[in-house]
Amino acid sequence: MHTEHTIETPHQRQNRHKAMEAISVINALKEDFKFPIQSMGYFYDLFETVYCRHEPLHEGKVKIGTMCIQIPSEIIYALDGVPIRLCNGFYTDDEIGSDLLPQKSCPLVKATVGWFASDNFSDKPDITFSPTTCDQKTKAGAIIESFGHTVIDVGFPRTKESEESHHYWRESVKSFAVKLSKFQGKKLTRSNLESAIKKIGYAQSLYHKLTEFRKNKAVPILGVDMFLVTNAFFFDKIDEWIGAVEKLVAELEQRASAGVNVAGKASPRIVYTGSPPIFPNYKIPLIIEQSDAVIVADETCSSNRMFNDMVAVDEWNLYDMIDSVSDKYLKACTCPIFTQNDDRIRRIIQLVRSYSGDGVIYQAFAGCQVYEMEQRSVLAAMEREGIPILYIESDYSPSQHGQLTTRVEAFVESLKNRKRMKK
Amino acid sequence: MTKNKFSLRRSVNNMNLVRFRFWFQIVAFVLIVYGGYIGLDLGNKLPTFACVFNGEGTGGKCYVGELQHDLKHPLEGFVGFAGYAFLISLGMFMVWFWALNKGWCGFVCPLGTMQDWLTMVREKSKIRYSEYSWANRGKIKSIKYILLILLLLLPVMIANSVFGLPKLPNGLSMPFCDICPGRMMIPAFTGHFNQFYIDFSSKTDLVMTTLGMIIVGLFLVGSFVKKRFFCYFCPMAALQYVFSKPALLKLYKDGAKCTRCGDCYRACDMDILEIADDVTSKNLVTEDCTLCLKCVAACPEEGCLEANFMGATIFESTKEGFILRMAMDQRGEKHAH
Repeated sequence: MHTEHTIETPHQRQNRHKAMEAISVINALKEDFKFPIQSMGYFYDLFETVYCRHEPLHEGKVKIGTMCIQIPSEIIYALDGVPIRLCNGFYTDDEIGSDLLPQKSCPLVKATVGWFASDNFSDKPDITFSPTTCDQKTKAGAIIESFGHTVIDVGFPRTKESEESHHYWRESVKSFAVKLSKFQGKKLTRSNLESAIKKIGYAQSLYHKLTEFRKNKAVPILGVDMFLVTNAFFFDKIDEWIGAVEKLVAELEQRASAGVNVAGKASPRIVYTGSPPIFPNYKIPLIIEQSDAVIVADETCSSNRMFNDMVAVDEWNLYDMIDSVSDKYLKACTCPIFTQNDDRIRRIIQLVRSYSGDGVIYQAFAGCQVYEMEQRSVLAAMEREGIPILYIESDYSPSQHGQLTTRVEAFVESLKNRKRMKK
Repeated sequence: MTKNKFSLRRSVNNMNLVRFRFWFQIVAFVLIVYGGYIGLDLGNKLPTFACVFNGEGTGGKCYVGELQHDLKHPLEGFVGFAGYAFLISLGMFMVWFWALNKGWCGFVCPLGTMQDWLTMVREKSKIRYSEYSWANRGKIKSIKYILLILLLLLPVMIANSVFGLPKLPNGLSMPFCDICPGRMMIPAFTGHFNQFYIDFSSKTDLVMTTLGMIIVGLFLVGSFVKKRFFCYFCPMAALQYVFSKPALLKLYKDGAKCTRCGDCYRACDMDILEIADDVTSKNLVTEDCTLCLKCVAACPEEGCLEANFMGATIFESTKEGFILRMAMDQRGEKHAH
């Protein structure tokens, strides 16, 4: 007998663990809920291809890594790059990053740093742009650079009301465009930027169509599916994504007219806010929707915040397009890194009103200090408005599942009671 | 999701405002500047620059001209009949004004239209517009009120000795007209260039007509580099704003729906910060607003901004309208510009 022994390399082990994380979420999405959507198949397959089989999507293309939503993908597409957003939701990578960052850091940042430390990408970014948003992301740039990656900081202001901030950010975006243009050996022109703005605008308009259906009494799509769709935009080929979402819109239209409801009649409608659920960390959204509630809207940077605001150009010349692209990423942004959070509070209230939400669930990653700090003011505002809210702190570890489920279930039960009382 | 495909409201909200305004302004311009040739006479109480110096071409006359003329009488005269006549004139002006509110500036004013044409030329030449800093933007706000007070006071001081000061020379009877770029620019469109002159007959005339020539130069250069440059200083705008509250056409904002994305502010030719940042006021017709409605067209939030006439919404911001106007409704690369 001749047996061959191969020893698993660290990369293989990491990939195997990530595949296990990924497939369990994909399977849950596919199988745990009633009335599955056919056109979601594209997205399930996409995530399986990328995260279970680790196949590259963009071979031969220049990949531009981005550390936050503030790096304008319009400019990246105009300059023939593929934006890859590196915000990471894997516990496997979080554990690798834990050795490199302080113990109480945000799991998302740890996972991203861990990903770079292991240098194990299916689509490795050729250059990464890091906006100086929260402290942890800002400092992560230099750490990642120390692993031998090219990281360029893009200065981002932390107040958005002042004139200085507007100018500073516009200048930052211009200098980002110049650097990327040099890197790509391509000029940013009126026509390539206009096409890119309109293409992304169209993608965003499709997202808006999807969200419209969630205002219906019978909700035709789950929140977790929506998170997957928006999450795919982090790394997918944009044209394929657009095609898949067009199909999804068409299917939802049919479902809406047939009155298909993925939730129950009495299921509370949840508005989700806080630290972004990023695949495969759909822990809280899954618990919510497995507890007979349905997420009808969200205020997170992995979903709504990424799509809601479109570039608005007044004069279609390069000077105005760049300014409007810059403004899009600063002015309406409700990121908690800003000094004031009134806009975020107003946004959550508006979402509750327009999507007939019954309650809000606010997740903060343990270690995501800015979300943790805003918790009090958001809770107070919701109390004033008479909107029930549940605040949850969680991380990427699979350990607290039981405890979290109990809390979410109790909240959902109380919302159901409230609904009954109202009737 | 069963939207009525052919509703009027929907097509209005989806309209291409830039194109609509372009043609509306041309029609208004023709009526105001050439209307006299077809017998149009809208009277001399118009809340817009229909220029009295445009001779028989003009389709009506500007009330600011009339107002200066009316005020150049001894104060005693205002007690009694002349006082009523003055109030009736002012009343007529208010009636005209209330119909469109500041929409006169954004849609009718020939000087405004000329500035918009210059803006188009600049845009076509791909030259970036200039902006004021926020601080300066705030400081220059008061200039239009100072001009308004001067144009009201100077004619009074010709006929009366105010506070025992000596009476002013008659050359100041129409002080604002002397320096108004409309006096030179509007007749030029009917082929009369005779207003471009410097009057050496008296010191006052020399100073005022020289000022006028300088200001018309500033008007042309200024509005080329800065959108609606002249409107920041317009005393007509100041006079209008005094009566703006009860007007019938309104610009309303529902602050709860506002994300403060600033799209409206970017579209605003007058750089009005409140339009984006004020989330508590309902009436957003501020002192410099021209009611051009570009902000409504640029707003991506459903029903956040609206033009309202006597309580009825006539044009409001919608996602769909925004997407169509930005040509983001199709997959292919469509260049609508």
